[in-house]
Amino acid sequence: MAAVRELVRDRQPTASRVRVRLRGSDHLSGWAFVTPATVLIAIFGLLPIGWSLLLSFQQSDLLTPSTPWVGTANYRRLMHDHTFAVSVQHTIVYTALFVPATMIVGVLIAVALNRNIRGISLYRTAAYVTMAVSTINAAIIFMWLFEPSFGVVNRALGWVGIPAQLWLSNPDQALYVIVAMTVWGWTGFAVVVYLAALQGVPQELYDAAAIDGAGRFASFRTITIPLLSPASLFLAIWLTISALQLFDEVYLTTRGGPLHATSVVVYYLWDQAFNQFDAGYAAAAAYVLFMATLVITYLQFRLGDRYAHYRR
Amino acid sequence: MTHLARITTAIALTGALAITACSSSKPDASSTSSPGTGKTVKIAVWEGYTDTEGKAFADLVSQFNRTHPGIRVTTLETPNDYMLQKVLTAVRGGSPPDVAYLFGSWAPSVAKIPSVVDLTSTAHSPEMNWNDFWPAEQQVATVNGKIIGIPALVDNLAIVYNKSLFTKLGLAPPSPDWTWDDFRNAAKALTDPAAKRVGWSIPADASEDTVWHWEAMLWEAGGDILTPDNSKSAFNSPQGLQATHLLRSMAVDDKSVYIDTTNSKYADLFNAGKIGMLVTGPWDLSGFTVPYGVQVMPTFAGSAAGHQSIAGPDNWVVFDRGNDRKQAAITFLTWLTATPQVKQFSLQTGDLPIRRSLATDAAFVGQMDKALPGVQAFIDNLANVKKARPQVEAYPKISLALGDAIVAVLLNKRTPEEALSRAAAASDQALSGG
Repeated sequence: MAAVRELVRDRQPTASRVRVRLRGSDHLSGWAFVTPATVLIAIFGLLPIGWSLLLSFQQSDLLTPSTPWVGTANYRRLMHDHTFAVSVQHTIVYTALFVPATMIVGVLIAVALNRNIRGISLYRTAAYVTMAVSTINAAIIFMWLFEPSFGVVNRALGWVGIPAQLWLSNPDQALYVIVAMTVWGWTGFAVVVYLAALQGVPQELYDAAAIDGAGRFASFRTITIPLLSPASLFLAIWLTISALQLFDEVYLTTRGGPLHATSVVVYYLWDQAFNQFDAGYAAAAAYVLFMATLVITYLQFRLGDRYAHYRR
Repeated sequence: MTHLARITTAIALTGALAITACSSSKPDASSTSSPGTGKTVKIAVWEGYTDTEGKAFADLVSQFNRTHPGIRVTTLETPNDYMLQKVLTAVRGGSPPDVAYLFGSWAPSVAKIPSVVDLTSTAHSPEMNWNDFWPAEQQVATVNGKIIGIPALVDNLAIVYNKSLFTKLGLAPPSPDWTWDDFRNAAKALTDPAAKRVGWSIPADASEDTVWHWEAMLWEAGGDILTPDNSKSAFNSPQGLQATHLLRSMAVDDKSVYIDTTNSKYADLFNAGKIGMLVTGPWDLSGFTVPYGVQVMPTFAGSAAGHQSIAGPDNWVVFDRGNDRKQAAITFLTWLTATPQVKQFSLQTGDLPIRRSLATDAAFVGQMDKALPGVQAFIDNLANVKKARPQVEAYPKISLALGDAIVAVLLNKRTPEEALSRAAAASDQALSGG
């Protein structure tokens, strides 16, 4: 989003000329180009959004055609559902850990990779490669890394005298293993975004700061971080939305267990719809998540307007 | 990676949820051809066979197509775990498959789908020879007295043990006379923390896989899952507690059990010699690389219930796509589940024969066991399947409650008493429609 805004701003000097030309055939051909995508998005995006809103006010088992209207009963049930409450709590904890962790690890690696040394493209590829690993492979790798008796992680902890942990088998630790796994998986994405943004930070600023006596940390804090803020805003929003929709990793590793310790909202609503055949209820849960995502994204944009620095 | 997968999942979820809101189904234009026109009736079969099974099934389908010129069967491979999800979407879209392979535990829900064909009269036709199917298969295919499926698969649980480990440690291998105390002692003797070896492993992902292991033990102790009229839970009983306490003693006190919370590691660890015994089914045999033996599950000392096991039969379910296609589907299933085809499929895949008469065919059983050592013990063990899971719609909720209870006990988070009484309360609520 931030990138888009920047583009728009860059184009502004020519805006009046563009406006004149838009009235002509460009206007039509522009629409011709976007229509197929718009139609697809409408069919696969907007239509389901509307339909599942209807579904959330119905009782549907997905099996029989009768879907009696139950008003807000599904939503009222959600408010008293202990497992749903626990799933919301896990989703919040997960998001609060995953988003900052991915961004911090991402920015540190990006800064480390933003230099001209021999073999840099190899390192950059290495940083990005986690994005190319399919979720199922990552899940299998992490299940074995964190295996209690034979896993590498416990072996390494053993060397420094820390006793073996149960990890995915321990309800108090399983969610953190999933955080570690997804941070690993998404770091490459954050690195690429930050690297691209770093290319746009002018060297003169660092030179000027150096003349003023700023150390490396001071220029990182006062130059790099503020100038990366549009990228940070983009990442914060993108990663938050994906964190709120966590499903694959949970499905592939713990299936919400042990004892619902990793049950998150999307996993819970999937389970309700397709294992418990309670689709109306699942749609209500999905809608609660949808509204929460909207509100959170809106707040992030507001904060972004205040704190993100755009170069003018 | 994750991004695309996430989007796909999101689309699939919203899509599936949305499609269900549209309840109209229109007749399909492709269900053409009426008898006498000489046209070929095309039917679609959705199945989840892969690898060896996939090839064996494809062989059967092409044989059928060759020998039945009026019918053309096409297959679509779909993972079994997602089959119902896909079928439900297709039903709402008005184009379900003619035949789908569906898990037996789904049967009570499947029976509610309006386009599912009542196969009661088909099943009782002489060609079908219904009583030659195992009783467990018949029970799982029947919901409220109506037959909604034709048996597709049967299996059961037995002990599979690492022979060389028993020899190396000088332990007597499992015998049919074993009680669960003998089993517990053997597991203790096999356990060696220094060698990172344990006696047993149990799937502990709280799924139906966890639950059916425990259900077989409950039945052996003499207990039942529900009351005879299926109105209330009955597992929170002295028998249920006996089975649960045994799990607790082994997992918590003896630490002789590998608690496989992701249900993904037991086979590799068994092959690595780190687990001495498993309770599992014939589907795992072809993946074992260590010399193994198969033995029936132990009994509880003093229980009159004796040796029992649990079968997880699956069904072929027919969806109504017009009379011609329905008849063609029935013709196909009748042919597919007839003795010669069952024999051929079992020999090629090692799957247990879905027909009882084949279990007494010594030449056939011998051939099976030669191809897949140990499978004979599983075939014999089908006689120990005396009970079936209750055919109630609330079963997925009961299974969920029991899965939680068992895992909580294994992880020492709840006592057996507390775990079972919570599960019983949840099950009773589900059964009363709550």
